Amino acid sequence: MSDVIATARKQRRTLLSEVEAKDLLAEAGIPVARAILAKGPKKAVEAAEAVGYPVVMKIVSPDIAHKSDVGGVTLGLKDAKAVRKAYKEMIERVSDAAPNAKIAGVAIQNMAAQGIEVIVGATTDPQFGPVMMFGLGGVFVEVLKDVAFRIVPLEPRDAAQMVREIRGLPILQGARGSQPADLPALEVLIVKVSQFVAAHPEVAELDLNPVFAYPNGALAVDARIVLASA
Amino acid sequence: MPIDRARLHRALNPRTVVVVGDKGPDFRWLDNCSEFSGNLYSVQLDEKELPGIEAKGVKNFRGLMEIPGEVDLVICAVPRNVTPFIVADAVKKQVGGIAMYTSGFVETTDPTGIELQGKIAAMANEAGMPLIGPNCLGVYNRQLGVKFAEAQEKGEGGAISIISQSGANGSGLTLGAQRLGVPVRRAISIGNAAVLSEADYLEYLLDDPETPAIAMYIEGIRSGRRFFELLREGTKRKPVIIWRGGRTRAGARAVQSHTASLASDDAIWMSLMRQCGAISTESLEDTVETMAALVLTPRSSRKNLALIASTGGQSVAITDQFERAGFEIPELSQASYDRLSEFFVTIGGSYRNPFDASSTIGRESDNLAKILEILAAEPVIDGVAIELQVRDSEKGTARLDGMLSLLAEYRSKTGNPVIGLVPTGGTMGEQEAVGARARIHVAKAGFPAYSSFRAGAQALGRVRAYYEELGARTR
Repeated sequence: MSDVIATARKQRRTLLSEVEAKDLLAEAGIPVARAILAKGPKKAVEAAEAVGYPVVMKIVSPDIAHKSDVGGVTLGLKDAKAVRKAYKEMIERVSDAAPNAKIAGVAIQNMAAQGIEVIVGATTDPQFGPVMMFGLGGVFVEVLKDVAFRIVPLEPRDAAQMVREIRGLPILQGARGSQPADLPALEVLIVKVSQFVAAHPEVAELDLNPVFAYPNGALAVDARIVLASA
Repeated sequence: MPIDRARLHRALNPRTVVVVGDKGPDFRWLDNCSEFSGNLYSVQLDEKELPGIEAKGVKNFRGLMEIPGEVDLVICAVPRNVTPFIVADAVKKQVGGIAMYTSGFVETTDPTGIELQGKIAAMANEAGMPLIGPNCLGVYNRQLGVKFAEAQEKGEGGAISIISQSGANGSGLTLGAQRLGVPVRRAISIGNAAVLSEADYLEYLLDDPETPAIAMYIEGIRSGRRFFELLREGTKRKPVIIWRGGRTRAGARAVQSHTASLASDDAIWMSLMRQCGAISTESLEDTVETMAALVLTPRSSRKNLALIASTGGQSVAITDQFERAGFEIPELSQASYDRLSEFFVTIGGSYRNPFDASSTIGRESDNLAKILEILAAEPVIDGVAIELQVRDSEKGTARLDGMLSLLAEYRSKTGNPVIGLVPTGGTMGEQEAVGARARIHVAKAGFPAYSSFRAGAQALGRVRAYYEELGARTR
């Protein structure tokens, strides 16, 4: 599986596709919503049947960093007919919006049940090397920058502190009558990502955004991995 | 060649010091070593400086190689163009190390200076010889009397050692600590850190059996990874206070991820401090005040304090500050309240905790003794912060001394922290000066003394949080 990195290197890419990134992460024992790469409407339907409806379809292109900006994400596809239609439309939309982008196909994944959105990430600090980040998704990370950092490698205690250090913690603890999120599952996920990053120094940046935090468990729904320039 | 640790030890604990290139009329470096207990020599070629050097009773030589015996520390104050010759001689002479005061290197944008630093650093590295600086004030060793500021004390002991990237802050931290009653074991001004990095000095002090605690002023980190690893393990052995100046802005890096865009230098630094269990401060005042709380109070991670203030308003203000700094101000037991009610003046006063106590202890009485006795027997109380009024020392220090000896008795009986607060924010003129003198007096008696409730609360709060974290990390 780790030849994902070798392949990307050979093709002089630093951005891994979502499918590649998730394969790598799953191999490291990190809970991800697996995605299957499919080219053509027929393969897309096969993939959807393999992961189970409803599914999410996302464009796969080495030239497109922000998929939703080019109409490259469609949610909630419930059957084969919807998948075929969505495939055709997506290829058209993306080709219009980004005519020069090379399209490898689409990624099909099971549409995960909604959880509390959090972000788990890693980046490379010029002074201290790999660092991990944790925060609540959406407005909390974008506007309030309510995130916690730790330097890799993390001990379980560091992950526990990170999760509890953000101001938005009450949301994870079940504010407004919702069920509390499984904090230990988030902590385990963070430590596993830290181990993954420590084991792969080629990984320069990593975003799991969002990770859905559930009352029981956690699942990375989207994943981006950027390799360091060789 | 890696830098020889034994040579660094010689340079920081010299038996023989040579000052190269000192000049009159000040002879700053020779004067800084006037209390040095070992052999002091000078190297100076300039004939017109020789009478001044001789007048100080210091033997002058024309070169390092002429000096008999081993040389442990060379203090180099020559013009920058001469530095390669001095470094070459030092290598040949196999001195312990050089503290290079000379400036005009990479801290300028001048290519000649940058090249020169590269040259002397390469020479030192090749020989495995520690070069401290350049552009630094070098070495202070309390026990040996090697100094870089006149007011640095010579004496026994020393409770904390300092590493400072800035010479002025290294001197400021030493003097500020001394003012607050904290003897400084060593200070190392590391300047441009051309040969040894901040991590190397940190490692030395972590391993130094004579350094019980460490305070640092740093700007840039040269070997970040090593610094992180040393610090994370090191704080389990001894407390490390770090004041970081000039936090750099995130560079214009090409960033493709959310995480990278949020990873500001400041955010990473604060996380590092927490992850490593270091005590983070933000100013010189913060740092020396925290040093005082660290060194002058018994080790404690407990939260419950008794607060003794002089007026109603002050008892509210002191409570606000200590609660904000993470402390709790609990009610006492009924038994304590019963005993307090027997003598406490409750007209214009209160003993619920906080204590509004000036009408009770402001009189000539043994009431403070009684209060402290009750607090010592009170299991819920883990320490005392007391406001010492300026007016208590207006007519000499006798009354203050009486109070301090009662506090010392409480401290030794209970092993609890005690801090003194002499707030002068609301004073002026002679009153303010009396307050400053009172603080010095309190410090001399071995208590941390602060000029505001806020300063005391924050300093003690940082130290308490360190011990709490340490307990959790080493459990």
